[in-house]
Parts: sequence; C-alpha cells; structure tokens
Amino acid sequence: MSDRNQNERNNKVVVPIGPQHPSLKEPGSFKITLDGEKVERAVVEIGYNHRGIEKACESRNYIQALYIIERVCGICSHAHTLCFCQAFEELAGLEVPRRAHYIRGIVGELERLHSHLLWLGVAAHEIGFDTLFMYTWRDRELVLDLLARIGGNRVNYGVNTYGGVRRDLEPELMQDILHVCDLLEEKLKYYADLALTETTLIARLKGIGVLTPDDVRKYSAVGPVARAAGIEGDVRVAEPYGVFKEIAVNVITDDHCDVYGRTLVRVKEMLEAIRLIRIMVAQIPEGPISVRAPRKLPVGEVLSRVEAPRGEDIHYIRSTGTDMPDRVRVRAPTEANWHGMSHMLEGFQLADVPIIIAAIDPCYSCTDRAIHLIGDGINQLTDWAQIRALSIEQYKSRGIDPGSIKVREF
Amino acid sequence: MGLLDKAIAWGEKKSPWIIHFNAGACNGCDIEVVDALTPQYDLERLGILQQGSPKHADVLVCTGAVTLQTRDRLKQIYDQMSTPKFVVAVGTCACTGGIFDSCYCVTGGIDTVVPVDAYIPGCAVRPEAIIDAVGKLLATLDQKEAKGK
Amino acid sequence: MNTEETILALNKRFPALEATSARPLRIFTAFAAPEEFEKTLQYAFSKLDYHKGKHIVGTDEGENIGLSYILSNDENVLLVLRERVPKSAPHVRSMGELFPSLMLHEREMVDLFGVQVSGLPEGPNYPLPDGWPEGEYPLRKEWNPAYFNKQTMTYEPPKEEDAK
Repeated sequence: MSDRNQNERNNKVVVPIGPQHPSLKEPGSFKITLDGEKVERAVVEIGYNHRGIEKACESRNYIQALYIIERVCGICSHAHTLCFCQAFEELAGLEVPRRAHYIRGIVGELERLHSHLLWLGVAAHEIGFDTLFMYTWRDRELVLDLLARIGGNRVNYGVNTYGGVRRDLEPELMQDILHVCDLLEEKLKYYADLALTETTLIARLKGIGVLTPDDVRKYSAVGPVARAAGIEGDVRVAEPYGVFKEIAVNVITDDHCDVYGRTLVRVKEMLEAIRLIRIMVAQIPEGPISVRAPRKLPVGEVLSRVEAPRGEDIHYIRSTGTDMPDRVRVRAPTEANWHGMSHMLEGFQLADVPIIIAAIDPCYSCTDRAIHLIGDGINQLTDWAQIRALSIEQYKSRGIDPGSIKVREF
Repeated sequence: MGLLDKAIAWGEKKSPWIIHFNAGACNGCDIEVVDALTPQYDLERLGILQQGSPKHADVLVCTGAVTLQTRDRLKQIYDQMSTPKFVVAVGTCACTGGIFDSCYCVTGGIDTVVPVDAYIPGCAVRPEAIIDAVGKLLATLDQKEAKGK
Repeated sequence: MNTEETILALNKRFPALEATSARPLRIFTAFAAPEEFEKTLQYAFSKLDYHKGKHIVGTDEGENIGLSYILSNDENVLLVLRERVPKSAPHVRSMGELFPSLMLHEREMVDLFGVQVSGLPEGPNYPLPDGWPEGEYPLRKEWNPAYFNKQTMTYEPPKEEDAK
C-alpha cells in the first residue's frame, strides 16, 4: 500500500489547474490515475451522504429511531427496518407471529425485485442501452404499485414495526401480487435470455471489473458481487431469519467473476424472488400480524443481519435499559463492497469505469460524483456524464453498440 | 419585457431543461425524480429534458437535506447556471431538512444554501407531485411573461 | 469451526477473554488492552480462520473508547473481539494488514471518536467533510450537536441581486 502512495507522489503530482473554486478541491469521488487509457490506480472517496444518523438515534427513542433507520437508503428501506426490528425483537425476547414473517418476506422479495430492476435499468443506461433502461423502469412500476398498496407509499413503505408488521395483506391483494409475478416472469425470462445470448451485451460486459474468489475473500465483498465469483454467501441461507427458516432459498451464483457475472446473478435472483413470493403467498398462515412490543429494551447488546438486495446488512444495538438506544451501528452492504472497488477498476480502461462502478450497485446518487483524472498531460476534473458519453463512444467505435440492440415489444 | 427576454421566457416555458442534484438524500426522492422521466410518467412529453451540465439547465431539481460535504458543490452548481434559473426542492428533507434536521453534518433544507422557487414535500415525493409542481412552475413563468407584456 | 468450537478454543488460549454465546452464530468477548487484543485477533485470523472483517463498532465507555471488531469465518459465525483505550491517550494500531476491508471503519474511528490509529495508509479522512474542526468528535457522548450546529451550520445564502 505505502509503495503505491510513494509512486503516486513521485510521478504524478496533483497540480490544480484552471479557474479555481476552493470548494471544488475534492467533491469526494474518484481520483483516477491513468496510464494512457488504462486505469493505473483508483482512489475512491465516499462520505457524501454522512448525515450523522448514528448520533441522531442516540437522542431518539426506539420508535423514532426506526423512522431514521428506514431512510438510511431509500432503495432498500425495508431491509434496514427489518434488520433493526429483528435486533430489537431479539434483545426484547419477542416472538413475532408467523404471518408477520411471511408478510415481511413477501415485501422483502418485492423490494429485491424493484431494486434489481432499478439496477438493470441503470446499468443499461451506463452502457448506452436506453431502451432497456426505459423498459425495466416501466416494469418496476408494477412492483412499486404493489408496494404502495401494501404499505401506503411507493418508497419507504413502513411495513415493519417492533413485534411484527403494521399492515395485513387481503386476499385480493395477494391475487394481484401473483398476477404481477406472472407478468414480470415473462419479461424477466426475456431479459435473462437477452443477457445470455445477445452478443453485443456480452462483449460489452464480459471480462471487466474482475474480482476473483480470493479478492472477494480479501476485501470481504458481499451480495451479488461475491456471488458472481462463485461464492455462496447469502444470509437467508447462512443464518435463516423470519420466513426463511421455513422456506429454502436457492442461492444464485455464477463463475464469471466480472460485470457480466453480476448481471446474470441479479437477473436470475429476480426470477428466484418470484418463485419465493409465489410460495409465500400460497403458504401464508392465518393469525395475528404483530405482538405487543415494550417501549424499553433490557440491558444488553445485539447483532442482527439480513440479506438486503445489495448484500449482507448488519445492525448493532446496545441498550442500557432505557427507551433510547445507547448505541446504534449500521453496516450497509455497499460499504463492504467499496473496499474492492479500487481493485476492480485497476488495469481496466477509462471507458469501463462507469459500468464497473455501477455493477456493484452503489446508491444511485453516485451518478453526480465528479471524477478526477490524473495522467501524462492530464489533470482534470470531469463529471460522470462525460465519462459515460466517452465510454459509449469508444465502444461504438469498436463496433459494440448496445444502443442498437432491438428489444421485443411486450 | 424586451424581445430577448420574451424569447427566453417562451423557450423556458415550452421546454425547461433540468439538472438533478442530490445534496445528501437517501435516494428515495432521486429514484422518484428519475421515475418521472421514465415512460409511465414521462416528463419528456412536456418538453422537459434532463441535462448533465449546469450551464445548459434552467431548473435545478434538488433532493436531500444539505450536508456539509455537499453544500459548497450545491452553491457552485447554482452559480454555474445562467439566469433566469429556478430551483425546485424535492422532498421533505430538501424543504426543511426533514427527519435529519438538527443532525450534525446537516445544514437543513436547500433554502439554507440557495433560493428556492418551489417546494415539494413528501417522503418520498410521488412522481405525480413532481409533475404537478413542474406544471405550477411553468404557470409562474407564464405569469412572468404576462407581467412583462 | 462452529460457535461452540470457537468458544472452547478462545477460552482455552485466552481465559481472560470470557467468550460467551447467547445464541448460535454470535460470540461476544470482554474488552481487552490493545496488546492482548492484537494477539487474539492474530490468533483468530490465522488459527481459527476468521478471515472476514465485517465491521467495527466504536463505543463510548465513559473514560475509555471501545473498539469492537466483528469478524466472521466460512461458517458464518460472528465473533466480536474488543479493545479499549483511554480517551486521554487513544492509541491503537491498524489491523489493516489482516483485514483490509476494515480500514475504512478504522478511519471512522479516527473521525468520529478521535482514536489515533497508527499504520493506516495515507488517504482522505472519512466520513466527516474536509475542514471539520480539530477536536470535535461527534460520537463521544459528551459531544453536543446542538452546540456545534449553531456555530457551523449558519450559511450566507446568495443575495437576490446576485442570484437573478
């Protein structure tokens, strides 16, 4: 590590050029050192969205803290509240009713669907395949409408509470869930087929952003990124929680170890999510949807984890016996995957940077981040849109143009 | 209102170009903003196009409570836009800081940094609300044009 | 190596650790001084194959600051090993050589608790913004955001004439 720092200091000195805005120094993003067109070194800086959530939870009671935890990430809000509620319930010794577990499971898998569809669209957009972007985001609407009917909101559905869930699923709604599953399955099978057979897509995605099983081990990557390297890590199987104590999940893995592998894993996971939803709807038991939860937690500490769409999410709560947490700690899955990011970028071309970064499925706000390029004769700040445009152009000039792929009408 | 101003006003009303900036949001509102541009809601048929660069944009669509890390960048993006320009605060956090108000590292709503023309509350904001707000903004531009006459 | 086996191995080698497990796949241990902690960590990594660095939880323990390293192995056991240093002299060493993925969280300890972690490679601080004043450690219990916010959050928005 220190050798590379030395190298950077000796050969590639960062000299600010052009009109200076003192605030533009490092908006906090990617500092990429180039060797010609190749990425020699990438330094990833994050911390944009640091809002002070952990401190905020310490001065709020558990009910209030749950609202904040839900908004750690708007895309997988259910996973975060589920993890937090589980932690609370374990420390409180609550036994959540089976029906609540099933409802949590159904919402969780619907969330996985909407998140992966979102990812598929964003990834398609990064490589210039805008038709697929529009299609997948239109498909997402079906899932969002369901989530809105279940929880009352398209985003931040607020289904979880301590002791169970807040909303029940009526039979009519369950029928509609199955209907949407049928609609989506047809489209997903088509997208899977596209990913497996469309040569332009394969050419564009294969062999880049490589993370081998050893790398996954070294950098502790989680979620689809780890599974695309053949590693069978999934919390729903490693430490079954809720409904997954009764229903077995097929863990989807792939051996490509690259961006293409991550694409395949996510598409197949969506089909698996549909399979799971169907089983849950068929087997959901009657009964109450929650048990009464105390306001205060006994003294103690607890670790809880769930499989969010992006990977393993870990929550820690420490209680000193009051109705306010003493310490709350969240490790979102993307935090684990950032570590391997620099490694994934190195050795690949600048034109591959957008899709490699997108392929770990970071939070969407990433697209604003500026990229600082350093190399022979280059020292400039550029933005994501320019790099993306550059990458699409470069691949087009090599005859690889995902924008020209014809997608069938549904 | 001179001829040039009228032309600008008309151009704006017919086809505002927007730039989307996340000032520190959880992404909930961001995905709804992007959603408003996709086929189901399709803001593009109203002539609204998303731009990557502040220099080409008329409207700054901003989400999130402003964090210390992003407030200078927000101001800078605003400064780079040419006049006339408008700012829309999307989401409760962007309006007032929302649930994160009083957190360290959070300055507050967008209007603690730049002047805001339209506030859209919601957590997250529904695409219909975004379209409604854009419609109202366009109507305001209409009024400005009428006043100018 | 599963939960029970890990506990037996740890308590045999490091009795002061008091490794306990309230439920499967969770092992909590007692706080130790940095030197003891490092030995345990090294042992867990090389002999018990706890090679996954999951997370670090920093805690304010009154006069001390606690760092709880959460590790895991191929059997998915979560093992929490902990060190404790006084607030007046919070010096620890980075465990980045064994667990590169935990260096980001070690930087969090630097920013949020004021722990001095030696051995971290040069790099930007995380997660606080540049220009964050020295000596302000948000996650220490005595730190009050209300006081801090009053001083730093006021911002001069651009005047109307400049804007239009």
